Amino acid sequence: MPAGATPPASPRASSVKPKRGRGIGERTVPYLLILPALVAVLVLLGWPTLQLLGISFRKLDLRELVTGKTVWVGFDNYKQTLSDPAFWEITVRTLVFTAAVVLATLIVGLFVALLMRHLGPVVRVVLQVTLVLAWATPVIATTTVFQWMFDQQYGILNKTLDRLGFHGFIGFSWFSTGTSTLTVIGLLILWQGVPFVAFTLYAGLIGVSKEQYEAAGIDGASAWQTFWAVSWPAIRPIMTMVSFLSVLWDFKVFAQVWAIRQGGPDGGSTTLPISLYLKGIASSHFGASAAIATLMLIMLTLITARYVQLLVRSKEADLS
Amino acid sequence: MKRWLKLAAGAAAVTLATAGCAGSGGTDAGAAPSAAPSDGTLTVWLMTGSAPDTLTGALNTEFESAHPGVKVKYEVQQWNGIQQKLTTALAGDDAPDVIEIGNTQTPAFASQGVLADLSGSVNDLNGAQWLAGLKASGEFDGKTYGVPFYAANREVLYRKDMFEQAGIAAPPTSDAEWIADIAKLKAKFGSDPDFQPLYLPGQYWYSLLSFIWDNGGDVAKADGKSFKSTLDSAGAKAGLEFYKQLVDASGTTAPKDNDEANPAQAGIYGGGKVAMFIGAPYEVATAAKTDPSLTAKTGAFPIPSKTAGQTAPVFLGGSNLAIPVNSKDQALAKDYLKLLSGAKYQTQLAAAGYVPGTSTDVSALDSDPLASVMAKASKNGRAVPASPKWGDVESGQNPLKDMLTAYLTGKKSLDQATSDANAALDKLIG
Repeated sequence: MPAGATPPASPRASSVKPKRGRGIGERTVPYLLILPALVAVLVLLGWPTLQLLGISFRKLDLRELVTGKTVWVGFDNYKQTLSDPAFWEITVRTLVFTAAVVLATLIVGLFVALLMRHLGPVVRVVLQVTLVLAWATPVIATTTVFQWMFDQQYGILNKTLDRLGFHGFIGFSWFSTGTSTLTVIGLLILWQGVPFVAFTLYAGLIGVSKEQYEAAGIDGASAWQTFWAVSWPAIRPIMTMVSFLSVLWDFKVFAQVWAIRQGGPDGGSTTLPISLYLKGIASSHFGASAAIATLMLIMLTLITARYVQLLVRSKEADLS
Repeated sequence: MKRWLKLAAGAAAVTLATAGCAGSGGTDAGAAPSAAPSDGTLTVWLMTGSAPDTLTGALNTEFESAHPGVKVKYEVQQWNGIQQKLTTALAGDDAPDVIEIGNTQTPAFASQGVLADLSGSVNDLNGAQWLAGLKASGEFDGKTYGVPFYAANREVLYRKDMFEQAGIAAPPTSDAEWIADIAKLKAKFGSDPDFQPLYLPGQYWYSLLSFIWDNGGDVAKADGKSFKSTLDSAGAKAGLEFYKQLVDASGTTAPKDNDEANPAQAGIYGGGKVAMFIGAPYEVATAAKTDPSLTAKTGAFPIPSKTAGQTAPVFLGGSNLAIPVNSKDQALAKDYLKLLSGAKYQTQLAAAGYVPGTSTDVSALDSDPLASVMAKASKNGRAVPASPKWGDVESGQNPLKDMLTAYLTGKKSLDQATSDANAALDKLIG
């Protein structure tokens, strides 16, 4: 190894210990500096959340909204929601759907990232441009294209399958059951979610120096071993971050699910955000829908608790 | 401190994820309606494609000249998302003074007490001539909240040239004749694989309503103040069976899992390979954008009944006019409605191809062959159950659509499909 490759000294080692006896003003300055950001977070996120909690304990239909009356109903909205078997069915469906989509996004994203690492520069740029285009296309535009592709009569997918010899797909309805509808929606979200994950993981991969791979090669490691010994440790913290973000995004995805079949057929592709919309916007029961939103908030907090824990524990944002 | 901040940041991220869906709470201050003074502006919200611009232009000018110092702020709204927009607008301090509401949405707003009670003004607004099918949708608990504006209903639009070539002398006058004519058209043009005697998408539930009513069934029946769905009745089942009979006889390639708007059926008809579709007269104008010759080639007949010589009842779509309780100029708004419901503007509405809501004079419709058929059929017009919760059916997940798809694709038997839809509808409006 050439001498120049010696890593620079860690910033912590060179940092000067704060001297005792500094003025109280100087110590409060950092907190004053973050104060505007803190106020913004509290006003833009804290206040709506408190409002949401408040509304979830009220009966707030169109009448109450227009007349401005405040009707407190205690835990009625929660009792009603939790005692509805449909709510639990939708919750399980949402969790399974989220898990499946997140897992698929991570696997495909990782695969594409590894592929980019090994491709020649020209092909790689083509792939990257393609990914950016898929990512940059507006959600509803992509959704419309997917609807056309999967259309029963005029869709290119059924026609292609027919040409390939699968004649059973002539007039096949992809949206006749909840499961197949959710599969199409899942593919759609996967399509839109992969570019971000792939680019983020690729950024982590190019941080690993060539020498490490060469060293692994000299030691006789197989491709599989090289991946686990060299690549994986480098991208593990990034993997944790993108899975956390993907869970947040996929759990609350609304536009695509609604645009495809409004949660149908027979409510078979209804997820929690859809039921929230149906209760709140379609039926004007804002109190009941606030209760669903609060329950979603609790679920997300539980699911992502481990990540938050890691975030709090870590000294240098080193997530693993 | 650092720990605490990170925790807050993490919690904030989670909050951001859900708070976006929650919506805001509205004002808690008990604003007393009608207390605020008039600001000299009358805000009128009409829907896109309802009254033509020439009508509203003349109406607003006449109103302003009759009320010096008053300015009409006329705004055209889009149907898409109108329920949310109205909800927000009605709750706000600056509510519009006159609004147009779809007839199926009116009971929801009326039952919530957000519309002004117009019971005392019915006579001023030409009450004796109100269109019966719309009148009921504007009433709740014995009081009147909505004034009929206009109605339109569906009929069968057909290619006169194709009927002639297939040797069909006159349009069918019964269900049996209709099916027979479909067979004749198929025999004549069937060699073209893209040809469809009747374009009928699987989730066209407005058409299904006609067949259900024609067979003596109904969607739901009033049970005191609540509703009980009757989709599992013999009449409803017979209507559904006839729907399938039509789909099978025609061999239509329309999607079974989508409605008449996706893809827009007028566009398919414009392609020139469709001999008939069930639609409103204005849809022909859309088709003529693709092929202008269709305007002359298209004729209309009422949706046939199973009883020869009669016509099937039709779903009366349309709009009502209403005044929000939060309007600051209710007296002016009533004057505006009075002017609009008068004979002068109702005649103009009829000339634009709509069945006018507050006038029985439909002579202006007779000059148009397509509109005159519609006007005749409108006398046998019916409405969906006047349940305050019916809005949920249309703005949410419609069990009738699910029922049609499940039955037509063979996913469910007739009994299964109807009983499932019955239960689902009961959950929504029961």
